[in-house]
Amino acid sequence: MTEVVLQADGLTKRYGRRVALADCTLDIPPGRVVGLVGPNGAGKTTLLQLAVGMLTPTAGRITVLGGRPGDGPAQLAKVGFVAQDAPTYANLSVKDHLRFGARTNPSWDQALADARIAELGLDPSQKAGRLSGGQRAQLALTMAVAKRPELLILDEPVASLDPIARREFMRGLMAHTAEHRSSVILSSHLVSDLERVCDYVIVLTDSRVRVAGDIDELMGSHYRLTGARRDAADLPAGAEAIEHSHTERQSTFIVRSLVPVEDPSLTVEQLTLEDLVLAYLSRSVAAHRPELETAR
Amino acid sequence: MIWFTWRQFRTPAVVTAGALAMLAVGLLVSRGTITDLYASVAACQSDCGNAVEAFLTRFYNSAGGTVYYTTLAIMYAAPPLIGIFWGAPLVAREIEAGTHRLAWNQSITRTRWLATKLGLIGAATAAATGLLSWAVTAWASRVDSAAADRITPLVFGARGIVPIAYALFAFTLGVTAGMLVRRTVPAMAGTLAVYTAAVAAMPLWLRTHLAPATHETPALDMGNLDALMIDRSGAVAVEPNDVTNAWTITNQPITPTGQVFTGPVDPTRCGPDLPSGSCTEWVGSLGLRQNVVYHPDSQYWTLQLAETAVFLGLAAALAIVSFWWLRRRLS
Repeated sequence: MTEVVLQADGLTKRYGRRVALADCTLDIPPGRVVGLVGPNGAGKTTLLQLAVGMLTPTAGRITVLGGRPGDGPAQLAKVGFVAQDAPTYANLSVKDHLRFGARTNPSWDQALADARIAELGLDPSQKAGRLSGGQRAQLALTMAVAKRPELLILDEPVASLDPIARREFMRGLMAHTAEHRSSVILSSHLVSDLERVCDYVIVLTDSRVRVAGDIDELMGSHYRLTGARRDAADLPAGAEAIEHSHTERQSTFIVRSLVPVEDPSLTVEQLTLEDLVLAYLSRSVAAHRPELETAR
Repeated sequence: MIWFTWRQFRTPAVVTAGALAMLAVGLLVSRGTITDLYASVAACQSDCGNAVEAFLTRFYNSAGGTVYYTTLAIMYAAPPLIGIFWGAPLVAREIEAGTHRLAWNQSITRTRWLATKLGLIGAATAAATGLLSWAVTAWASRVDSAAADRITPLVFGARGIVPIAYALFAFTLGVTAGMLVRRTVPAMAGTLAVYTAAVAAMPLWLRTHLAPATHETPALDMGNLDALMIDRSGAVAVEPNDVTNAWTITNQPITPTGQVFTGPVDPTRCGPDLPSGSCTEWVGSLGLRQNVVYHPDSQYWTLQLAETAVFLGLAAALAIVSFWWLRRRLS
């Protein structure tokens, strides 16, 4: 597992004139739990579907675990995927689903699947259509993990779940990744879903990647600066303003800086992941609504 | 994947097998009627025309006649029903429910996924319609030979091997339509419309070109007319009987110079005041010939094989389109 998990280069997907993903360049190292965060319609699903080969790129290139997504049984076996809303066959039982997985995946781990189903308290003869949303998501996750993939991709796995099911799902996912050391990419429109489980984050808005990197590195290179009112141009050298807000006498900046900020006239604070993501999200909103900015 | 295809197909397969079994019982029970009625024909030594006529009249009016027309309807309904209920939902329902995203992310390519489904359910299609057609053709064989009409359009499409090819065409049509439209109900409607047009086009325009028709112009035999009608404007309609034991395409009286004969009537030779039979005598004296184009019963298997080949070819083309679409466009 030394190879890069996902590599994208100028990756673009268009539907007619509509751009779903524009010029996406990524390099995700192995062994990470990657959070893909962005508002609804940002292109998260498009990126993940490109990564499993459900979609083909309009332009650019994507390789997953060194191969072209969806290209042949070997590549399919390496990637586990839980699609948005965790689709299952409503009229087939839990057992039928597991048997389907067992018959179509050479690396299927029946013991793992059975253990998970037992742990979740699911009745194997229950039809999937009669399961709750949380149970269906768990069934889909069980199918994805029991094929023992090197990379697990989950598209908004908890979006439709209530808070308890959400926590249960995340707990199950974490237990699995801790035990099997597979890489994970999961998307959400809520930072809080990802905060506790991810060690790498990609912020995607308006079909573009705004920032991507290890959370520790990002946290170590972003600060909140507060001081007497000033312009962004007057910030210390090397500090790039991501977001700024001003009151009459005071300015607050969220900046990216690879060197520690040492300016006695500014108060330097650490950010939370949520602050950091929100800063990048609001920057792209601001860039798209200049009239709003001047009106302030 | 074979197991999973069977698991998804189990219910329709059982329903179809049940329906076939019920039909088989119906055919076995009513087979006695045909055998009983046919006894007089079987016993007939010479000049059996009347015995055959009597057999057919009694058969069509018996319970066997009801079974006969029912099987005819079933033979025409089975292929489009397979296209609508087995073909159209095969991919469309997966796309509607989103389950294709589950199925295509197991460790099998979607090409193999589709190949298994097309192969197994296609085989079931051929087996079901093959059995059905064999049973109905065998059951109706005495009636068909007595009526000498197995090559005529209505019976032709409900006997022999063409129903198998119709059904395979309908099935692949349904699958392809479902893939293109991505929604089950519109795909079903589209399948029915296209299937009906294709199958109706065969007897109307295309089938006659599958084997060379026989073209003859014998002298018009006044003793072998279906109808002779004269209307008030003086137009004469002469309708010779169709060729026996054949599928008649064209059948019209022509003048010695080759024009279609439509009159006008000669009032001095044929009119309301003249004795009966005078019109027949007058038309007989005109030297008319009969322009007849037909396919004799001897071409039955040639036409069956050719039409089967046409629909198997269409089914294969649709299967190729569905694989291409699955790989290139369905994303």
